[in-house]
Amino acid sequence: MDGTEPGGAGADAHALSSVVVSDEGLTLRGEGDFPIDVMFDDRRIFSFWLQRDTVARGADIVHPWPPVLRRFLDGTTELALVDHVSGDPLHVETVRLGSGEGRITVADAQGNPMGLDKSLRLSRLFTSRSAEHLEPLLDAIGTVLTALEEAGVKPFLAYGTLLGAVRDGTFIGHDSDADLAYVSAHQHPVDAVMESFRLHRRLLAMGYEVVRHSGLAFKVIVRESDGSLRGLDVFGGLMREGTLYLMGEVGHPFSEEWLEPRSEVTLAGRVFPAPHAPEHLLEAMYGPGWRVPDPAYKFETPEAVRRRLTGWFRGTRVGLDARWERLQRTGGHVPDREPSTLVRWMLEREPDVRTAVDVGCGSGRDVLWLARRGVDAWGLDYFPRDFRAADKRAAKKGLSATFEWMNLDELRSVLVMGATLSRKPGPRIVLARHVLEATDTLGRDNLLRLAKMVTRGSGRLYLQMRSSDPESRRAGLPPLALARFRAQVESLGGTVLEEQGLDEHEQPVAGAADATPFSRWVVTWDR
Amino acid sequence: MGPMSKLSKHYRDLSRLGDRLAEMEAEIQECRQVNLRLAELCDVMMELLLPAADRDDEAVEAILARYRADVNEPLRWRSGD
Repeated sequence: MDGTEPGGAGADAHALSSVVVSDEGLTLRGEGDFPIDVMFDDRRIFSFWLQRDTVARGADIVHPWPPVLRRFLDGTTELALVDHVSGDPLHVETVRLGSGEGRITVADAQGNPMGLDKSLRLSRLFTSRSAEHLEPLLDAIGTVLTALEEAGVKPFLAYGTLLGAVRDGTFIGHDSDADLAYVSAHQHPVDAVMESFRLHRRLLAMGYEVVRHSGLAFKVIVRESDGSLRGLDVFGGLMREGTLYLMGEVGHPFSEEWLEPRSEVTLAGRVFPAPHAPEHLLEAMYGPGWRVPDPAYKFETPEAVRRRLTGWFRGTRVGLDARWERLQRTGGHVPDREPSTLVRWMLEREPDVRTAVDVGCGSGRDVLWLARRGVDAWGLDYFPRDFRAADKRAAKKGLSATFEWMNLDELRSVLVMGATLSRKPGPRIVLARHVLEATDTLGRDNLLRLAKMVTRGSGRLYLQMRSSDPESRRAGLPPLALARFRAQVESLGGTVLEEQGLDEHEQPVAGAADATPFSRWVVTWDR
Repeated sequence: MGPMSKLSKHYRDLSRLGDRLAEMEAEIQECRQVNLRLAELCDVMMELLLPAADRDDEAVEAILARYRADVNEPLRWRSGD
C-alpha cells in the first residue's frame, strides 16, 4: 500500500476510452488504477486492476485472458466491464471468441457456474451458490468453531470471511472459501505448534479430516449437502512483544485488547465470534483501505514477516507442487508394470531379506514385486494417489504389501514410521530410488534417519540417484551433489559400502524419459 | 596507507557487508527452523515414547498405529477417490 486509497473511493467517475476484445484478451485505454469486474452475460467471471494487473503496449494496456479461463472462451457472450466499487458499467459489447457457435459458459462438469477468485483459481464462488447451499458451510463453520473452542482456544472468523461479515454481513461474492483463526495463549512458537498438534488430534477424534499446511495452520475438510468437499482453513497465531503474527500473512503491531473479549459479527444471518475490535485485524490483514471492496486484492506480506513465519512454522510441504507437475506432464501415467532394476539388484545381494521398505514407492510396483517373492514389503509415499491401485491389488491378492503415507519433511511422520518398522522381522532393507533429488536437505536427513532406525544392526540402505551432471538438468529433477550428500551420510554415522556409477538406461522417474547416468549406493550403520 | 588504498579498503569492506548480511539472514532462518523440529520432538516424546514405555508388545503396536493415524495425511485414499 502506498497510502493512496485503494479503489479510489470518492474520486471522479472511472472510464475506459477504448476497449478491444480479442482471443488474446482485453486491450484497453484508461486512466487510474481501480478494480474492474469482467462479466459474461451478467455474471462476474473475474476481476483485475486496470494498471497493476495489465501490461503496457504502446499507448494501450493489455490484459490477456487468464490461462485457466481459456478453454471456456469459445462462443458468444455479452461482455461487460464494470467498475467494481461503483457498479457502473464501463463497457458493454456482445463478443464472439474462438470459433464456437453457442453461448460461452464457465461452469464445472455438473453445470455449476464457476469464476476466478482473488488467486485466479477457478472455483465455485459464493455468488453462484444458493442460500440452501450456504447452510451446510455455515453449519460447518459453527461446528469447527465450537470444536476449536472446546479444545481450548478462542477462535474467530478471519481473512475474507471476517471481511465479508464486517463489511456486508455476508460472504464476499468473489471468494471461495471460509477462514477461521485463533491466537494462541502461548508466546513461544514451539508451544504454539504443540497446541496446534493437540487441536489437530482433537478434530480427528471428532471425526473430521484435517490436512496440515504447516506447524501452525491446517485445513478442516467438510462434506457439504451437495456432496462437494470444502476446506475450512484454520490459521494459528501468536502475540509476541506487541506484534501479532497470524499464519498466512500477518505480522503487525497489535494490542491484546483488540483480540479479547471477543465480539460478534453476523455472517449470512448467523452470529459468529470475531476479535474484540475486528477493524484492527482487518487493517493488519488488508491495509487501511480494507473498507473498499477489491476482488482482485493481492496480499503483500512484508518480506521480514514472511521469512519469520516460514522459519518458525513452514517447510513441511516441499516438493508437493513439483510432484503434481510431474504427474501432469505424464498425463497421470506412472510406471507400474516392470520392477525397477534397483530392486532386482538389491534382491540378488540380499536373498535373506525379510522386511523391505520402499521410500518414495510411487505406483508401488517394486513393493508388489517384493511381496510376490515372500518379502514383507512396505511402500511409503506422500502421494497416496500413486499407490492406491497397488494397495487394492495387494489386498485382493492377499500379498504382504503395506502402503502408508509418509512425509520426509515431517519429523513426526518419519520417527513413527521408523519406530514401527524397526520392530519388523530382520534382515530389514530400505530402498530409495530417486527420492533424494526430489526432496530438500531436511528430507534427505530424515531419509537417512529413517534408514538408520530401520536397518541398524539388521540390513542396509539401497539408494539410486542422479548425480550432479549437466545431463540431469533436462530430466526434470535437480541433480544431487554427491560429495555433499556423502558428508550428510557420514555425519549421521553411515558408511557407504558400495558405490556404482551407471550408464544403464531405464525410465527412472515418471515424466523423465531420458538416459541420464545415475549412481547406486549401499549404505550401512553399525553403531 | 595512501588515500586511494584507504578508499578501496573501505569499498571492499562495504561490499562484503551484503554477503555478511545474507549469511546472517540464513543463520537466523536456520535458528528459527529449530522451533518446528523441537515441537515435533516433544510431540513424539509425549504422545509416543511415554505411552509406549512399560507396555506389552500389542499395546505398543496399537500406540504406534494410532500415532501414525494422527500424523498421517487424512484424505482417506483407501476409501476411494
